[in-house]
Amino acid sequence: MFKKTAGTSRTGRRVFSAVASLSLLTGVLVGCSSSSGGAGGTLTFLTNAESWTHADPNRNYTGQHIAWFGSFMHRTLTAYARAEGAAGSEVVPDLATDTGRASNGNKTWEFTLRDGAKFEDGSEITCADVKYGVSRTFATDVITDGPTYAISMLDIPKDAEGASVYKGPYKADGNDTAAYDKAVTCSEDNKTITFNLSRPVGDFNYTVTYLSFSPVPQAKDNGDQYDLAPVSSGPYKIEKYKAKDEMVLVRNENWSKDSDPIRNAYPDKIVVRFGVAEEVRDQLILNDSEPAAFSLDAILPTNLATVFNEDGTPKEEWKSRALNVYDPYVTYAAVNVGKVPCVQVRKAIYYARDFAALQQLGGGAAFGGDPADGVIKPLMGLDYKPVTGLEDFKPEGNAEKAQALMAEAKSACPDVYAKATGAGLTFDVADSDTNKKSATIWIDSVKKNAGINLKFNFIEPGQYYAVVLDPTKQGDLSRAGWAPDWANASTVIPELFLEGAGFPLSNVGKDPAYAEFKSRVEANLSQSDRAAQGAEWAALNQYVMDQMWVIPGVFSKTQEMWGSKLEGIFFWEPQGAPSFGDIKVKS
Amino acid sequence: MSQEQRHSDGGFGNLTTSSGVIGRSPRELAWRRFRANKTGLVTLVIALFLILSTIFAPLLRSLFGLDPRARYNELMDSRGFPTGGFNGISWAHPLGLEPGIGHDLLARLLFGARTSFFVALIVTVSSVSIGVIMGILMGYFRGAVDSTLGRFIDFLLAFPAFFMIVALSLPVVQRLEATGLVEGNSARMTYLVIILIFFGWPYLARIMRSQVLSIRERDYILAARALGASQRRIIFKEIVPNLWTVVIVYLSLSLPGYLTAEAVFSFLGLGVQPPDATWGLLISDSIKYVISNPTYFLIPSTALILVVLTFNLLGDAVRDALDPRSEVS
Repeated sequence: MFKKTAGTSRTGRRVFSAVASLSLLTGVLVGCSSSSGGAGGTLTFLTNAESWTHADPNRNYTGQHIAWFGSFMHRTLTAYARAEGAAGSEVVPDLATDTGRASNGNKTWEFTLRDGAKFEDGSEITCADVKYGVSRTFATDVITDGPTYAISMLDIPKDAEGASVYKGPYKADGNDTAAYDKAVTCSEDNKTITFNLSRPVGDFNYTVTYLSFSPVPQAKDNGDQYDLAPVSSGPYKIEKYKAKDEMVLVRNENWSKDSDPIRNAYPDKIVVRFGVAEEVRDQLILNDSEPAAFSLDAILPTNLATVFNEDGTPKEEWKSRALNVYDPYVTYAAVNVGKVPCVQVRKAIYYARDFAALQQLGGGAAFGGDPADGVIKPLMGLDYKPVTGLEDFKPEGNAEKAQALMAEAKSACPDVYAKATGAGLTFDVADSDTNKKSATIWIDSVKKNAGINLKFNFIEPGQYYAVVLDPTKQGDLSRAGWAPDWANASTVIPELFLEGAGFPLSNVGKDPAYAEFKSRVEANLSQSDRAAQGAEWAALNQYVMDQMWVIPGVFSKTQEMWGSKLEGIFFWEPQGAPSFGDIKVKS
Repeated sequence: MSQEQRHSDGGFGNLTTSSGVIGRSPRELAWRRFRANKTGLVTLVIALFLILSTIFAPLLRSLFGLDPRARYNELMDSRGFPTGGFNGISWAHPLGLEPGIGHDLLARLLFGARTSFFVALIVTVSSVSIGVIMGILMGYFRGAVDSTLGRFIDFLLAFPAFFMIVALSLPVVQRLEATGLVEGNSARMTYLVIILIFFGWPYLARIMRSQVLSIRERDYILAARALGASQRRIIFKEIVPNLWTVVIVYLSLSLPGYLTAEAVFSFLGLGVQPPDATWGLLISDSIKYVISNPTYFLIPSTALILVVLTFNLLGDAVRDALDPRSEVS
């Protein structure tokens, strides 16, 4: 899921099938050269952010955080293979002994835990711990921001308002704990966990790669404070974690390689330095003043020319220290359809916008990405088909088409037309220098080509999604980005457009086109033929674009760079993030 | 020079021609002193040029096509760097382009200067006016007025004004916007103007107070009082004319100060926001390019340095000219 906003540190979401992705990777994957050993040393991460968004496993929902904490601290039942390219999208057992056993037509999933897996305090990780961790995600008022797949998939009754009757472990009154105990069960020996689902989910073993399925020891849980000092189940534990300062991880003596085939744990110590000024952060790496440092944020656009050629490939001396790849995101401006119930106006904005200038501002096609034609990226293979009906799109804006659409809008929806050309439409974006510049391009080009007035609402980046996800505060358009949670557009189309889903910025519930859309999506979620399901997702993507529920931005790219003493780094496609756990510090 | 001068106005029946001493008003004397100061003249010309070009910027826009909102995307490469090196400087764009977005930098500077000058001018004039009034009140009436206002000034001067401005920015701007009178950039500018005036007047008030304190004890004031002159007459006819020198000097020196202040607060993101331009914003943006595109970084910074230097030198020249003790060459 989620969100990427230019100018803030990158946040990420899960990814896609890697079909055809190799041909699209323009960046260089650094070979883990044959240097032997590589254990030891201190690995440093630099970031402009003041802290991690969340360190609590059940609340992590960005690709970068999942990749980072999943590599060093938190284990789940299954995980993605630690490999470059398409091989990385394979699911392998982590805490579980296999990748899950489905029965009852994919409605029951069973995982058996390994022997010898321990928390940092030396206690064995049991089924009860996993069950408790999953139960926390139901307490959406305390354990915020995490994925809610457990709520939507587990066979627990819903109340009249569509909320689960089970509210997590922190509430006693009116809380149907029995329903949860029935949906998630542990075996006699506390080693095997069984999930009973409300509908068939053929790829539930992908769902449990999420840290929201991580074990949490009930005795150590202190609600939202757990975010500050989560208990480690992985190779490192927290020695120090202070926002605006640093996080220090040291080896977890109770972790053993025997019980964990997928983690490497090369460095002795891991340090994350928070609040490093953006320019300082980049210069530390560019000048190699911190040769064992890795930048967790995107390179400033102004420094791209130092590292990369104009075509996007790293310069000769940067070949082993930088990469430039397609990340799993699609960026877009979600149109709040409830407030802009006029497809002609929505389309007019799409055609009027000077995409070429916005792309140039974002670093150009080589760094920012290519124009998107919908919310599904071509990397999704099965689920992607080029969207038709957008042939009149011109990168620099198509004034003729936009004006024709506005002329239609004038008679078709006079209210929206009057608002758009009069008081103007409000556009929510996170407050950043780049977004302020892009606002200028939006305002000028949409005014010039379609006569529509735009007003920008710059929102403090840390508050951005909290504000726009609140329908009472959201404007007419909101900038966002989304990546599939795994290789199925079932983590895109329903999440973005169904009412009550994870990221419904378009608020399409009242659109006349919604009823048909909803029934098709719901039917397709239960579709067992994967090829037919993919074709239908592509058709629904087309449906969304016909209604212009979002104004697509780019199929985005990302750049990473690091110091000269680090090796073993590659882009871990399923997480859309570097393979943090494979980084070695050269001695 | 003074010799020629004497001859040229000889036929006009100057009363003191015979004795060889020419009577000149203080204003005349000051102008002569100013004219003799080459730096002063040069800076005056530059300052006038700057002020006129910012006032007539809209005219320049229609004459030379200097549009701060026009984008020249075709003159930049795909990454948004102006092509041709040196920030894409050419005849059409004498200072090059703003990287990334492709605005003409000269137009941005010119229209940005309008905002900066506007803020600086309002703040300077207002804070000087308040300062003068308060200073006269304190100096002339002394006693309770002096101690009340004096303590208030002490309070203001002891206040960490800078942090206050930064901290209050968001809530006050939101309140201003809530009134519905101002919005967006106007609200931010209004806030900046109000708060800079609020913290700006005490300095001059103190100077004025000490001036007035010394003037009011002079013999001619005593004489005026003895002749039964009203307080009003004493203040406006006897005291105020003697304060102008200090006020003019203070005015010319505080203008560049507020120009810089406006740039600093825009730099910190408290002032005007894009799409409008100010120098502070341009400088803050250009810092990111200090290594990859140093020309872009140098242009707005140099412009700010030049303007502040110009006004400071001009202020010095004015002070020299108005000081009766300074030498006339």
